[in-house]
Amino acid sequence: MKLLTCPMNGSRPLSEFIFGGEYRDAPDQKTCSDSEWAAYVHNRSGAPGDKKEWWYHSPSGTWFIAERNTLSDKVSRTYLLSANTNPTQEQAK
Amino acid sequence: MQALTPNNAVKLDAKISPAAPAQSGASVQWAVVNDMQIATAFASAEVEQARKKVLGVTDVSCFPRYGFKGPQAAQWAADHELAIPSSPNSWTLSDQKSLVLRLGGSEFVLEDQMGGVACEKLSSISARVAGVYKVPRADAAFILSGSAVLNLFAELCSLDLRPSALLANDVIMTQVAGISAIVIRQTHNGEPVYRIWCDGTYGAYMWETLIEIAVELGGGAVGLASYQH
Repeated sequence: MKLLTCPMNGSRPLSEFIFGGEYRDAPDQKTCSDSEWAAYVHNRSGAPGDKKEWWYHSPSGTWFIAERNTLSDKVSRTYLLSANTNPTQEQAK
Repeated sequence: MQALTPNNAVKLDAKISPAAPAQSGASVQWAVVNDMQIATAFASAEVEQARKKVLGVTDVSCFPRYGFKGPQAAQWAADHELAIPSSPNSWTLSDQKSLVLRLGGSEFVLEDQMGGVACEKLSSISARVAGVYKVPRADAAFILSGSAVLNLFAELCSLDLRPSALLANDVIMTQVAGISAIVIRQTHNGEPVYRIWCDGTYGAYMWETLIEIAVELGGGAVGLASYQH
């Protein structure tokens, strides 16, 4: 059984979690160029490596960030977004 | 909370327990408790007492519930003289008769046990406060009792729920029988029991699943009347 650590609920089986996609900083839509915005909307990085990802613990409704190496599938740490980013980024999400 | 009043005629304006569709049978006795039609007995008192000792499953969806959340929720509860758990994912009793669950940091669920009035008191408050939001609850709720209850959980839940791992006041949000549920360990009239809450739309499924395993393990359905006293 694979386990993932939810920052609020502790270590739980992976079946309780839902993947929410890679966490990416959005460009400022008022100042960025069309091509920058198009790249943000349409392009994804499929290259394996260390990624920040959204994960959701469904029984408790907790969204959090997991830092995961997508090649080895090793999760280095998990945390609530608000604890590790500035307030503007959190509001943007 | 209203007293248990037997009423064989179905009250048309009463809600029906979310687990009721799975509880049909000629021997089932029904009553309306807190405006909800609920099964009060499934067999004779002796049979139910024997089931309770091994593995009894009781539908208590009719207990009044009140949910609220928000950044000011803890302060709001304190303002209304409600005892709340100090740490996330734990529970406490307020006035001895109302269960207060803290889900995460800023969400609370109250459930009045027999004789509790906290939910009625809080729902009568109409003044809105910034940073406090009411959360409507439509849970199916169950009590599991008996010596074989951990064998049942071993089949349905991947977490260790033995008393050594699940502390007395812990609230666990996990999956039971594949659906999201809240689990706690409680003492009811001196006997240790486990409580499960899940979304009401899964009530009948959860009841069927619990009963199927309970019967295999030598227990079965127990009516609400056995918890009345």
